[in-house]
Amino acid sequence: MVAETKTTAEAEKTRRAVRKRAKTGDTHLAGYIFISPWLIGFLLLTLWPIAQSFYLSFTDYSLLEDPVWVGTENYVNIFTNDSTFTKSLSVTFLFVLFSVPLKLFFSLLVAMALNQKLKGMNLYRTAIYFPSLIGGSIAVAALWRNMFGLDGYINQVLAWFGIQGVGWISNPDTSLGTLILLNTWQFGSTMVIFLAGLKQIPQELYESAAVDGAAKIRRFISITLPMLSPVMFFNLILGVIGSFQTFTSAFIITKGGPVNSTYVYALYLYEKAFKHYQMGYASALAWILLAIVALLTIVNFAASRYWVFYESEGGGTK
Amino acid sequence: MKLKSKVTNHLFLSLFSLLMLYPVIWWVGASLKKTEELSLPTIWPKTPMWENYSKGWHFSSEYTFAHFFGNSLLMEVGNVFGGVLTAAIVAYGFGRLSFKLRGFWFSILLLTMMLPGQVTIVPQYILFNKLGFVDSYVPLVLPHFFGGGAFFIFLLVQFIRGIPRDLDEAAKIDGASVYGIFLRIIFPLIKPALMTVAIFTFIWSWDDFFAQVLYISSVEKFTVGLALRMFIDQFDIQWGQLLAMSLLSVLPSMLIFLFAQKHFVEGIATTGLKG
Amino acid sequence: MMNMRRMSLVSLLLALLLAITACSGGGKGSGSGKTLSIMWWGPDERHEATKKALDLYTQQHPDVKFKPEYMAWDAYWQKLPTLAASKSITDVLQMDAAYLQEYVSRGQLEDLSDIDLTGIVDPGVLENLKIGGKLYGIPLSQNAQGIAFNKEDLAKYGIPLPHKDWTYDEYFQWAKDARAKLPEGKYPIGDTTTWDGFNYYQTAMGKPPIMADGGKTFTLDKDLFMKFYQTYEQFRKDKIVPPADQAASFLENDPQADPMASGVVMTRGATTGSVSALEQLMPGKVGVVNMPTGPAGGGWAQSTIFLSVSANSKNKEEAKNFVKWFVTDKDAGKTLGLTRGIPINPEIYKELEPNLEAKDKLGKEIYDQSVDKALPFYSPAPGFTEWVDAYKKEMDAVTFGQQSLEQAFDKIDKLGKELAAKAGS
Repeated sequence: MVAETKTTAEAEKTRRAVRKRAKTGDTHLAGYIFISPWLIGFLLLTLWPIAQSFYLSFTDYSLLEDPVWVGTENYVNIFTNDSTFTKSLSVTFLFVLFSVPLKLFFSLLVAMALNQKLKGMNLYRTAIYFPSLIGGSIAVAALWRNMFGLDGYINQVLAWFGIQGVGWISNPDTSLGTLILLNTWQFGSTMVIFLAGLKQIPQELYESAAVDGAAKIRRFISITLPMLSPVMFFNLILGVIGSFQTFTSAFIITKGGPVNSTYVYALYLYEKAFKHYQMGYASALAWILLAIVALLTIVNFAASRYWVFYESEGGGTK
Repeated sequence: MKLKSKVTNHLFLSLFSLLMLYPVIWWVGASLKKTEELSLPTIWPKTPMWENYSKGWHFSSEYTFAHFFGNSLLMEVGNVFGGVLTAAIVAYGFGRLSFKLRGFWFSILLLTMMLPGQVTIVPQYILFNKLGFVDSYVPLVLPHFFGGGAFFIFLLVQFIRGIPRDLDEAAKIDGASVYGIFLRIIFPLIKPALMTVAIFTFIWSWDDFFAQVLYISSVEKFTVGLALRMFIDQFDIQWGQLLAMSLLSVLPSMLIFLFAQKHFVEGIATTGLKG
Repeated sequence: MMNMRRMSLVSLLLALLLAITACSGGGKGSGSGKTLSIMWWGPDERHEATKKALDLYTQQHPDVKFKPEYMAWDAYWQKLPTLAASKSITDVLQMDAAYLQEYVSRGQLEDLSDIDLTGIVDPGVLENLKIGGKLYGIPLSQNAQGIAFNKEDLAKYGIPLPHKDWTYDEYFQWAKDARAKLPEGKYPIGDTTTWDGFNYYQTAMGKPPIMADGGKTFTLDKDLFMKFYQTYEQFRKDKIVPPADQAASFLENDPQADPMASGVVMTRGATTGSVSALEQLMPGKVGVVNMPTGPAGGGWAQSTIFLSVSANSKNKEEAKNFVKWFVTDKDAGKTLGLTRGIPINPEIYKELEPNLEAKDKLGKEIYDQSVDKALPFYSPAPGFTEWVDAYKKEMDAVTFGQQSLEQAFDKIDKLGKELAAKAGS
């Protein structure tokens, strides 16, 4: 899945080969030493629960009783006899399709605006980051109702222009859109990562470009974008993985309703597991989601060769 | 920068900040309201109920919120320390060194993020229960010491891959080992990103309610997030006090963000890459 | 770089943290004493009173100590399945009628039939609570389902107040009459899309409950179903109930979104246990009446909150002694007060009665009005929680005009029959 480190300069390669011979096996061992904190944790704490959930996906497991092996029954039922699965998957796809690009675009835009030397910049940044701070807080549900309710803030503003608003969260036509908006509004983390990425771009590059008289847009396309591409790639991958598992806002604000219009996949899975006491079925749902997300991630990694540029690998696109 | 563009920048940013901050204004107002008043569309109450704060602070008869804040901060010290330290080490391994099965392990690392936590939480609870760690912070803190989570490892890997290899090469010629390169070159250079890791770890574990409700059972060990849920019962919610205390509960994260951002924002710009 | 002093401070704190957590691990039962773990949900008032009661028990029985754990309702039901999965449910636990059958049918709770409650709980009440002839929860308090109304607004618009033992026909007629007198934007009654709303109607009309025999029998009476929901369909057109998107935005007991507290709807369902929360949202404005009735009666009046003992408990005898004491002991009763509603033990209630506050009296009034026409409390059968959710979703889809009543009936009926067949096999 990971593009192997590649260097273009031949001389570099030979130099390396020489050094490698000198310290045979050194980097193998060093590599494992460095990743050992994760590896040990994975083997000790993560592997067993994951394996267990895979096993449980082939069982009927109420949590309150011991699991009973049922073979592939859960999977067969999901694919042949579960309209909620289809519904929640399509809701989730819609959510991902809109919220990932919106959030990426918006957070990059704001990160650029915040990446300048200006008095009080840290106050602006904090203000703009604030909505992301309150992510899972209980107050968010109350706040969101206050804004998007029938006589909420948004509708009051619309009324000035003579527009009759709807109950944005409680109308099945607009509820998913409102959740996507909420998700975009909490763009802070993505933005901070972009900001850190922007800070990593050496100023000299811009200075020399300025000397060449390159226009702002050109500088953005030929310097900022390629230099930022590893971070952009990270935000894209994580955005996709995270959005497919989106849960909190649907859970605390809409409970999946009205009429399943915001019944995202992770919420369905949660209710199957802890409300309907069907952990076996929920585990099967989880593994299906894993397969879908993994597939998309592989595609993303494959596509990344054509647009992600790593300074450490010298050549950019190969 | 020209004066004119400076002014427009300030104007634009203040307006945008205000828009983003509307929730806080609403929240402050709501936290000072009487329960009956909350249904009114007005932002500010007629007479502010400052006692929502004092009563909320002393809500539990045994402990004040100071105790819960202390608990949360104690947990956070472990989380941030463990996460920052180990994520950098692991990310260096994945991002800079080549070793057998590196691609395989990295794929596994990413895969662990793709399985929804809802289905691993029960087996994990059973595991920690057998180890005797239930009703302690161990199940909450320990995972941070194993790389701090796939998200942060991957983030740092991306940053490390963005650092030119010339720097390593130069150090190698000077006789530095892989460990030396990590300590002297990579670690200082990814400090801004590490700051991001620290802030996110802090903020995200602050309100990771699901894990906390499962593993912490005695009130003595309650975190702020758990204490806040005590305001909410089936029918009976102490809204004013809940809103007041939950507003206070985001303050630490906000202050940390406000003051820590200097480090990730100025880190590289002042150090310079070709240092 | 983090400087060394700060680093060592951090590691010191860390070591401290591990030490704290390590200490707290053990401590289970020293010498001859036993430690009973106990878990309940509720508001803070209940926590305080219960802890005092536990101290009282330890004073009276020095060999029994407690490890209490308490939280809010949502957290409780999130956590309990996980505890069940790891076989670590507390020795004693609070139970709710809505969940009791689920946990009993999965073998999580201990049979408590041999606890002698003569003179404390009415034998008829106990008989009603038995599942398969066995008692799995000791009832703690009286509860009943009724309807709360906004007496201030109704008086203001000259609408007569609902009266005790009104029938469904009177209820619907009352709503139509009230519509004519209410201004636009206010509605006499709320819409209904949950299974229990119709189950009240079906049983009041003398038909069996939708789910019976632990889920093996499933009865959804189509004629009644169509009649009931066609009435509401007409009501939606006539603005007697709020439009669907407004109905979907209601959230009971939320100061902004409660249908009644927000001033939008004049009535809504309320129980003895929950009405005090509504009263706090709109002090002095709430009146109560029992559920509409049919030929067979209407509503329910019984205990819905219990103490149960875990089937995996290692201290079953002590646990049983404790739960009996909990409803019997007068001092315990005084300590606990009304924190779990109106105590089931009539003698304890008599002593508390003089201290009732207005909000408690409303709850008592619902109970008193309901008790003579009351039908049993019907909870979802084990394995039917997904049906309960599906019911609401299908009916919501009807209110939003996405499908016809007929279609909704077919889907709800089909799923119910499938689950009943599964329960029977």
